[in-house]
Amino acid sequence: MRGYPGFAARRVGQAVVVVLLAYVATFVVISVLPGDPVTNTLRNPENGFTEDQIARIVSYYGLDRPVPVQLWESLSRFLTGDLGVSLRSNRPVSESLLEVLPSTLTLAGAALVVAVVLAAAIAVGTQVLPRGAGQGVLRSLPSLFLSVPNFVIGLVLIHVFALQLSLFRIIEPDSAWATTFAAVALGIPVSAQLAEVLIAGLDHESRQEYAAVARSRGLGRGRLLLRHLLRPSSLPVVTVLALTVGELLGGALITETIFGRAGVGSLVESSVTTQDLPVLQAVVSLAAVVFVVVNLVADLVYPLLDPRVRTPRSTVVPREELSPA
Amino acid sequence: MSSSTSGTGADKHHPSRRTVSAALGAGAVGTLLSACGGGASGADSASGSGKAKQGGDIVFLIDSLGDTWIPDNSAISSFQGNVWGHVTDKLVYVDGEGEVTPWLAEKWEQNENATEFTLHLKSGVTFSDGTALDAAAVVANLDYWAKGQADKGVNPIGLFPKTYLQASAADASTVVVEFSAPTLGFIPTLGYHGSILISPKTIALPTEGQADLSQVSGSGPFTVKSWKEGDNVVLTKRADYAWGPQALGKTDAATLDTITYKIVKESSLRTASLQSNQADVVFNATPQELDGLKGAGFTVATPRYLGFVHGYRLNASVAPFTDVLVRQAFQHAVDRDEILSTVYTSDWKKAESFIQSNVPEATDHSAEFTHDAAKAKALLDQAGWVAGADGKRSKDGQPLAVTLFPNPYLVTSQAIDELVAQQLGAVGFTVDLQTFDVVTYGQRVTGNKTLSNYEVTRSFIDVGTVASILTSANKGEDWFGLGESDQTLNQLRDDVAGAVDEDARTTSVDQLQQYVLEQGLFIPLEQIVQRIYASRPDLKGVSYNGVAYANFYTAHLEG
Repeated sequence: MRGYPGFAARRVGQAVVVVLLAYVATFVVISVLPGDPVTNTLRNPENGFTEDQIARIVSYYGLDRPVPVQLWESLSRFLTGDLGVSLRSNRPVSESLLEVLPSTLTLAGAALVVAVVLAAAIAVGTQVLPRGAGQGVLRSLPSLFLSVPNFVIGLVLIHVFALQLSLFRIIEPDSAWATTFAAVALGIPVSAQLAEVLIAGLDHESRQEYAAVARSRGLGRGRLLLRHLLRPSSLPVVTVLALTVGELLGGALITETIFGRAGVGSLVESSVTTQDLPVLQAVVSLAAVVFVVVNLVADLVYPLLDPRVRTPRSTVVPREELSPA
Repeated sequence: MSSSTSGTGADKHHPSRRTVSAALGAGAVGTLLSACGGGASGADSASGSGKAKQGGDIVFLIDSLGDTWIPDNSAISSFQGNVWGHVTDKLVYVDGEGEVTPWLAEKWEQNENATEFTLHLKSGVTFSDGTALDAAAVVANLDYWAKGQADKGVNPIGLFPKTYLQASAADASTVVVEFSAPTLGFIPTLGYHGSILISPKTIALPTEGQADLSQVSGSGPFTVKSWKEGDNVVLTKRADYAWGPQALGKTDAATLDTITYKIVKESSLRTASLQSNQADVVFNATPQELDGLKGAGFTVATPRYLGFVHGYRLNASVAPFTDVLVRQAFQHAVDRDEILSTVYTSDWKKAESFIQSNVPEATDHSAEFTHDAAKAKALLDQAGWVAGADGKRSKDGQPLAVTLFPNPYLVTSQAIDELVAQQLGAVGFTVDLQTFDVVTYGQRVTGNKTLSNYEVTRSFIDVGTVASILTSANKGEDWFGLGESDQTLNQLRDDVAGAVDEDARTTSVDQLQQYVLEQGLFIPLEQIVQRIYASRPDLKGVSYNGVAYANFYTAHLEG
C-alpha cells in the first residue's frame, strides 16, 4: 500500500503522545487531590509527631517540592524506564508490577477466549435455531449478560463451585479451576458486546442477495453460515475486540478482588484508596500503552481483512475463493 | 424453563441453559445461607480425640495486610500486628488484663522519679539472621522506635514516650534508658504492638530493603518463608526458638509448623471458606455471623484490647456542645442497652467508663451515663432549648443540630450511629449522618478541630496515654477542644503524666474518669472489640495479648 509507512509512523507518534498525556493527566489529577499516603500517616494527631519530624520525612519523599518540579522529575525518570518507588509499600513500582502482571494477563487472556467462544456460540445459535424455539432466548442473552454485574456472577460461581462443590479452593486463586471460573465471570459481560455485533452482522449478511441465491440453490443453513456469512460478519468484531481490552482491564479489577487474586486490579484498588501516585501512574501508563497498541494493531490489520476497505491499488490477493479452514 | 425443541444443535444449548439457571438458584441459596450463618457442614466432621498433635499447618484469612512492611511504618496497622506478633518478640509481655510480665527483659529497675530505667536482658537470644539480641541490639531498636529514620523516610512509632532522651548499653545484657520527665508508661509500652524487636541488620537496610518482609529478621517463634504483596504471607516455625514469654507457660518452639495469612477481602467469603473447611481461622467476621458460627461448632473469640471504649468525644468549643447541659443531655439520651441488643451479640460488654474495664486502672462510673430520656429533656429545657411542634428543639431560631461521622474502621459504626440518631431525636436533637470511606475520613474528619464530635476507636497499652489527650499541652491532642482552659483537666493531666507512684496514679485516673463523664465530654457506647476471630473447633490453645491479637505460638491442633 502506498503511504503505508507514513500512515503507520503517524499512528505510532499519536500513540506515544496519548501515553504521555495519560501519564501527565494522572499526575495532575492525583496531585490536586488533598493528601498523600505519607502525610496522611504523619499528620494523624494520634502520632503526635513534631513539625520538624514531619518536614524531614516529607522531604525524603520529595513531597514538599512544587508540583511542576515533581512532575518534571517523575517524567524524566519515566522516560528512562524508572517507575519510581511506591509511597504506600515503599517497594520499587516495577517490582510490584512484575509480581502481579502475569496473573492479570492470564486472567484477561482466558476471559477473552471465554468471551469470543461464548459470543460465537450465541451468534451461530441465533442463525441455526428455528425461530421461536431457542432463538428468542439466545437473542436476549447479551442484554442479560450486560445487566448482571460481574461481581454477582463471580460470587455465584464461587459459592457454587468452590464452596458447594469444592472444585477449587478460595485460598488458591491461581489454580486452573479458579482461573477458569474467574475468566468466566469476567468473560460473560465482555461476550455480550461481541455477540451483539456478530448477531447484527450475521442478520445483515443473511439478508444480502448472495445469501438468498445460495439458499435458493439448496445450500444448507450450516454450510451457508460457515462458508459465506461468518467471515464478513466477523470484521466489526475486530474493532469491538480492540475496545474490549479496556473493559477487560476494568473488569479485572473487580474480578480479582472477588476471587482474591493478587493482580494489577487489586494493586490499583489499594493504590487508589491510598493515593499512591507512583503506582497509579505506572498502571495508567501501562494500560494506555496496551490500549493504544491493541487499537493500533486493529487499525493496521483491518484493511488487510476486509476487501471493501482496501484502496483500488491494493496488491493483496483476494481470498474469497479460499475455503475456510 | 421448558420449551419444546427440534432440530440439531438445540440439545447443545438447552442443557447449558438449565445448568446456568440451576447454578444461579443454588448460588443465591448459598449466599443466603452463609449470610444467615447457616449452611455449615465442616465443623461436625472435625471431632478430634482431644490429644495435641505435633505440627500442623493453618490458613488464616484476613481482609488486608496493610501497606508497607517497614516495621515502624507498619506496626500500628490493625492487620499486620497479626504477622508481627509471630515473627518478632518484645521486651515485656502484656496480657489482656494489662498485667506486665518479663519476656526478653528478664527484670528491670527504675529510679525514684521514673526518669531512668535499667533493663536486664535474657541471654542466648538470637534473631533469625544469626545476630545476637544483646544490649546493643536493644539500644538500636529503642532509637528506631523513638526517632525513626527521617533520612530513609521511616517514622518513629507514634505511641513511644516523647520524653525519651537516650539509651545505652551498660554491658552486653544491660540497657539503661533515660527520660527527660517521669515516664511510668515506659515499661508497659514495651509490650505495645509497635514495640517489636528486629535485627540491627534490618534496621541498617535501605528503605526498600526494610519494606521487603523477607529481609526483615525478628527473634520470634516463626520466620517469614515467603510473601507476596497484597496476597499472602507464609510463616514457618523456628526450630531453635527457646525464649517464649513466661506468662504463656511455654518457652520452647511452637507446635504448629506453618501459618499462611491469605488476603480475602470479602467478609462473607472468609466465613464461607471456614464453613467449607478451606480455611482454619478467619479474621473480622461480622457480629451477625457469630451466633451461626458458634451454633455450627466453630470457636469464636472476641478479645478486648486495652484502651478507650467505643464512644464519642465531644468538642466543647463547638456549638451546641459549648454548654455542659447539652453534653449531659446527650450523655443520658443514649440507650446503650438497645445498642448492645440490636447491633451486637452477648459477646460484647457494657461500657462502665470511657476506658475499657480490662485496663487495670479502670473503675465503674456507669452511674454517670444511665439512659434517662426524661432527664435529658429536663436538661435541654434548663439550657433554653425549646421543643417545636415536631418535637425538635431550637433556641434563638437555631436548631439543636448534631452531625455524626461513622468511623470506617469499625464495621458496626454506621448501624450504631443510626440508632443513636433515633435516640437523640427522641429528646429533640436534629441528627445528621455523614459517612466517608477511610481515605476521605482521614482527610476530613480525623484531626478536624471544627467538628462537634469524633468517634473514638483506639487502643493504648498504658493508661498514661490519657494524659496526652486531655489538653493541648506538649502536643497534646486536646480531645475536648478545651485547650488549657479547664483547670481541673490541667491538674488531672499533670497528676497522671507526672506520677511516679502507681497508686497515686490510679487515684488520679479514677478522678479523671469521673470528671470527664459527668461533664459529658466523652459519651461511651460499648466496650470495643475490633478484632474478631473464628476458628475450626480442633484448634486449641490460642492466646490473646493486651492488644487483642491472636497468638498461635501456644496453639495446637487436636487429632
